[in-house]
Amino acid sequence: MNGKFTLISLASKNLKRKPLRTLILMIAISLLVSTLVFALSFVRRVDSSIKLTSERLGADILIVPAGSRGAAEDILLENKVKTFYMDKGIMEKVGQIEGITDVTYQTYLITIQGLCCSVPETMVVAFNQDTDFIIKPWLKGKVSGRLLKGEAIVGSESAFNIETGAIEVDSVLFGNVFKMVGVLDKTGTGLDTALFMDEANLDDIIKKGKSDMKPGQISIIFARVKAGIDPYKVAAKIEDSVIEVDAVARKDIGKNLINTLRDINRIFSISVLIASLLSIFLVWAIFSAVVNERLKEVGIMRAIGAKESHVLRLFLFEVIIIGSLGSIVGIVCGTAVSFFLAKGFSIMKNISTDLSVLQRVYISLTGFVGGTIICVIGALSPIQRIKKTEPLNVIKEV
Amino acid sequence: MTHLTIENVTKTYFLEGNKIDAVSNITLGINKGEFVSIVGHSGSGKTTLLSIIGGIARPTSGRVVFEGDDLYALDSDRLSGYRCEKIGFMFQFSSLLPVLTAKENILLSVLFKSNGGASDVHEEKAVELLKMVGLGDKINAYPSQLSGGQQRRVAIARAFMNDPELILADEPTGDLDEETEAEMMRFFKSMNAGKNITFIMVTHNSDLAMQTGRRLRMSNGAIAEL
Ligand SMILES: Nc1ncnc2c1ncn2[C@@H]1O[C@H](COP(=O)(O)OP(=O)(O)O)[C@@H](O)[C@H]1O
Ligand SMILES: [Mg+2]
Repeated sequence: MNGKFTLISLASKNLKRKPLRTLILMIAISLLVSTLVFALSFVRRVDSSIKLTSERLGADILIVPAGSRGAAEDILLENKVKTFYMDKGIMEKVGQIEGITDVTYQTYLITIQGLCCSVPETMVVAFNQDTDFIIKPWLKGKVSGRLLKGEAIVGSESAFNIETGAIEVDSVLFGNVFKMVGVLDKTGTGLDTALFMDEANLDDIIKKGKSDMKPGQISIIFARVKAGIDPYKVAAKIEDSVIEVDAVARKDIGKNLINTLRDINRIFSISVLIASLLSIFLVWAIFSAVVNERLKEVGIMRAIGAKESHVLRLFLFEVIIIGSLGSIVGIVCGTAVSFFLAKGFSIMKNISTDLSVLQRVYISLTGFVGGTIICVIGALSPIQRIKKTEPLNVIKEV
Repeated sequence: MTHLTIENVTKTYFLEGNKIDAVSNITLGINKGEFVSIVGHSGSGKTTLLSIIGGIARPTSGRVVFEGDDLYALDSDRLSGYRCEKIGFMFQFSSLLPVLTAKENILLSVLFKSNGGASDVHEEKAVELLKMVGLGDKINAYPSQLSGGQQRRVAIARAFMNDPELILADEPTGDLDEETEAEMMRFFKSMNAGKNITFIMVTHNSDLAMQTGRRLRMSNGAIAEL
């Protein structure tokens, strides 16, 4: 025997005597915890991705052609590749609405696949450098001066960037040669996979007939409102006065996704709840049997001086060992599953934000505490019962 | 000085509607360092009396006073403390935990005393006790690897682990061969004389009883001096 002999050594010896039973309990707990960890990772990841996007978007309101709100959210939140257009004149109308201080706009294009090289389908964002306040903050010091015609910058996760491994590489887009002159900081939004250029390039692209947009069209307008003014009210005013557009206040970005997420969350909650109840029941059933088997042993321990608290502690150690080991396995499995299986969910596939270390620690801790507590809850009533065991009577039942 | 007093103790069992006084109005005083033997037929109430003295069976009426404490007026934890620290109980039936080795079984009683783990000193003492009962080569054996008589001797060794003041031995040599029985008796007497431990020993062996300082006989729940 190595190490000191303690109640914990007795607890672990007791667990080893019925290895299969111990294993079944641990597996049950680890299944529960992995479900919990997976669910939390999933929901947290989508949720924080949406929050991050809305926080990092430098605008209070975004304005898109009526009916394109979903598409705009897909681009920003899920890195999807989509386009929609409206008349540039709308921007002036929006700019005149009371409470708005700045407006800028962007035009979205999609690279044409197979045209050249191995460039995959990518969002191309043409923006106005004079009014822009969306892109610039992510360009700090990366690009000196203005972007010239024929120059482009790429998002931090852009396929161009990754594939070429270099920045100053010429790329052929829409039949024009572009020079990649910089990389945007990581934004954690859909911008990370896009490619950015000045709107001056649009004319050539349209002339060459490489895009389905018409001259004078834009895709999206970003607006900032005066401090102290409610963006929701301004957005409502925009929708009232400019019928061709949808206006979305920053906090409402991803609302549909959040609603979907809420439903997913509810399904996860119910699953975890059912799994918890099943685990509690399993632990209860197994520990009731354990307790009955060990009545005589507990009677002996009581007769040679064990207090109720010793019996309580012994059995608590046993459940806690099962609960904590099961939970650790569950955390590992749940995290692994959320890594690999999540890729199969389209909602996850396109989300750029990953969980932070802190969030992972938080989720793991929740899983650990949850799994262990479930175990303890299940075993509590059998343990309370055996704690009260009287010494002699049971000893005589040889 | 009276070390232990048993005052009008009765223990009544009800079995299928019949009332059995397993111990019937016994009054007895035992002094520190006495070696008392109890003989009597099977069913005469010896185990019941020992259990009452050992703090593991509440009498139906009467009191047991040990060093001034009325045992059954103590709260549960203090009664456990009494069983743990004052008493060394050798039960009539096998009483080892199957998952623990001989040494660990002996150390178990230390856990209930110290609240911590068993120290090196405790380990040495446990090994020493096992050697004293002739099991120096079975220290790490599990009960299933020991004969009935060897298990019995582990339980004997365990009773001394916490330096008890009173040993309650319920037919402790019942399944031992004559030679080992004699050895155990010598061991008991040396502990009784050397450490002034009080002994109350139930036995069927009248030779053993003859070696003790005070002999009692139980019949039908009553007790008498021999
Ligand atoms: N738990 C019990 N329930 C009912 N009767 C019991 C119980 N324990 C002992 N008895 C009865 O009490 C009497 C004394 O038993 P016991 O003290 O074990 O005798 P001994 O140890 O002298 O053989 C016996 O008649 C026995 O049947
Ligand atoms: Mg008996």
